[in-house]
Amino acid sequence: MALIALIDDDPDIIEASTLVLESKGHEIIVASNPDDGFTIVVDNKPDLIILDVMMDEPDDGFFLAQKFRKHGVETPILMYTSVTKTIGFEYGAGEMVPVDDFVEKPISPDMLVEKVELLLSKEVRSN
Amino acid sequence: MNYQPSILIVDDEKGLRNGTKRLLENEGYSVDTAENGTEGIQKGITNDYDLALIDLRMPDVDGLDVLTAFRKNKPETVCFISTAFASYDSAVESAHLGSFAYIPKPFTPEELLQQLRQGYNRRKLLLESKNLKKEREKNLFELAFEKSRLNTIVQSINEGILIINSKYEVVYFNSALLRLFNINELRVSDVVTEKLPADLFETAEKLIQSDLKSDKSFTKQIEMKAGELFVEVAINHVKDPHGFTVGAIFVVNDISELKKIERIKNQFVSMVAHELKTPIVAVDGFIRIILDKSIKLDESKKTEFLKRSVSRLSSMITLVNDLLDISRMELKNKFRIKNDIDLIPLIQSIINSFEVDFKARKLNIRFNYSTDRVLFFADENEINRLFTNLISNAIKYNKVGGSILVNISDSGNFYIIEIIDSGIGLREKERKQLFEEFFRAKNSSTRGIPGTGLGLTIVKRIVENYHGKIEVESEYEKGSNFKIYLPNYKISKQITGDGNGSNSIN
Repeated sequence: MALIALIDDDPDIIEASTLVLESKGHEIIVASNPDDGFTIVVDNKPDLIILDVMMDEPDDGFFLAQKFRKHGVETPILMYTSVTKTIGFEYGAGEMVPVDDFVEKPISPDMLVEKVELLLSKEVRSN
Repeated sequence: MNYQPSILIVDDEKGLRNGTKRLLENEGYSVDTAENGTEGIQKGITNDYDLALIDLRMPDVDGLDVLTAFRKNKPETVCFISTAFASYDSAVESAHLGSFAYIPKPFTPEELLQQLRQGYNRRKLLLESKNLKKEREKNLFELAFEKSRLNTIVQSINEGILIINSKYEVVYFNSALLRLFNINELRVSDVVTEKLPADLFETAEKLIQSDLKSDKSFTKQIEMKAGELFVEVAINHVKDPHGFTVGAIFVVNDISELKKIERIKNQFVSMVAHELKTPIVAVDGFIRIILDKSIKLDESKKTEFLKRSVSRLSSMITLVNDLLDISRMELKNKFRIKNDIDLIPLIQSIINSFEVDFKARKLNIRFNYSTDRVLFFADENEINRLFTNLISNAIKYNKVGGSILVNISDSGNFYIIEIIDSGIGLREKERKQLFEEFFRAKNSSTRGIPGTGLGLTIVKRIVENYHGKIEVESEYEKGSNFKIYLPNYKISKQITGDGNGSNSIN
């Protein structure tokens, strides 16, 4: 059982993802913009952060991810992406984008659960 | 003298011919003779003599005719006219025809040799300048000295032109080139290695060094000033008359505008894709959860998800309709059914249609107009859409218990329709971006307000279609005033007498 922070500006996505993850027994905290997202993570120290790449601006998610790392938050980040190819971003996890994995929208519950469990198990091992 | 200057003696007097021949051969000349004018011409034009000594009076062909033949066929052979019947007239004529000197007979060996030495120096100069000219032609430098009308034409065209020779030296360019290549200084014979963008130079190099008779050409698009100037460069061979590559020509076109349009188009497409994908993703998520047997959902939750899916889909349909409207407005040949529309009842009926929303948000709406009728010649659907979008915004971005004022006035040239709300207002930055596709002011007070981000884009396009204009005044957190200026056609109609207001198709 893990605590997962979910940061996305689409309430329907938050609702659907929450339901999927809660059904696997996880506890979910949510935020709908980058500022609130930063606060809930710093205050609650979740085991995993799920972050939408595009909130108000096309790269809000990236900036938030960078902000977490700059402030010493090492929690694994799973990033929701939407229009990667059409908008011309071709990114992978790494230096530029300090996240651990991506889930391309639309989000299949199985895929989401699989990636979440994988990141959480890594986290357990490295601790 | 290592090299033996060659000379042809054309003289019908055998004694003089042979005597002179012996004299010159002793002096190291290589001597050939012709015993009459015809033979002289024949030998003179088939061989390349350094010098020719031509007798003026010969029985068959006159010495001056022989001289003319030399000038025409071998302009670098230095010719002397000799004669026993020296006259002022023939001296002048032979000079006119291009003889180097006029040697009266009898002449002493010293006099002759002296003249021939000078003549041979002249011959060397002539050959040198001929070679120089050849060299210049080979390196295309002739182009730089082109003074023709063609030059004027090339200088005045918008395309940049640059010609280089096979040593990569500039031989020709026009002023458009300097602008398009962002070059401040360029001179003929400058080597272009440093002046050209690197990959362009490499292409030129490839082209010039490729197979001598090949016929390749290249086109490249290059960004010259970061994001500001884009050029398309076509590079082709310049060939000499034998088909060998002697240089390259660059024709440079400014394609900045095209690039700009392309960029705007790409941005628009990715924004549309994003705006369309967002609701699909949400609906997809709900349906997958409903279908997923491992996730337990009670019936009321399922119904809620389905209802929300329907709501997301209907907002998507609105978006698609807005997009269709925008692209329809782009069509210049769209059929508009225009009528004289009275704006007062039209706006009143729009206001009435929003009654439920006014009540829900406790809004106070007022509608002011000073005249009885405000007739505007337009497509009713478009005008309806225009004011529906504006009034709907005034409702959506208002505060609960706020007010809306719609006011119509007549400035003479324009009807001014103002939609004034006491809503959340706009920051200066937001006000400037207002009419961009998909722009929606995003802050804590706009969160949760539905919209496609295309409403005002449509408003602006409709207003502009009717040669009107739109002004926005706004104070953040206090409210906004959208002022629509629609041209008052009544005035021009009164002058032209065309006021019947019948249906017409534009």
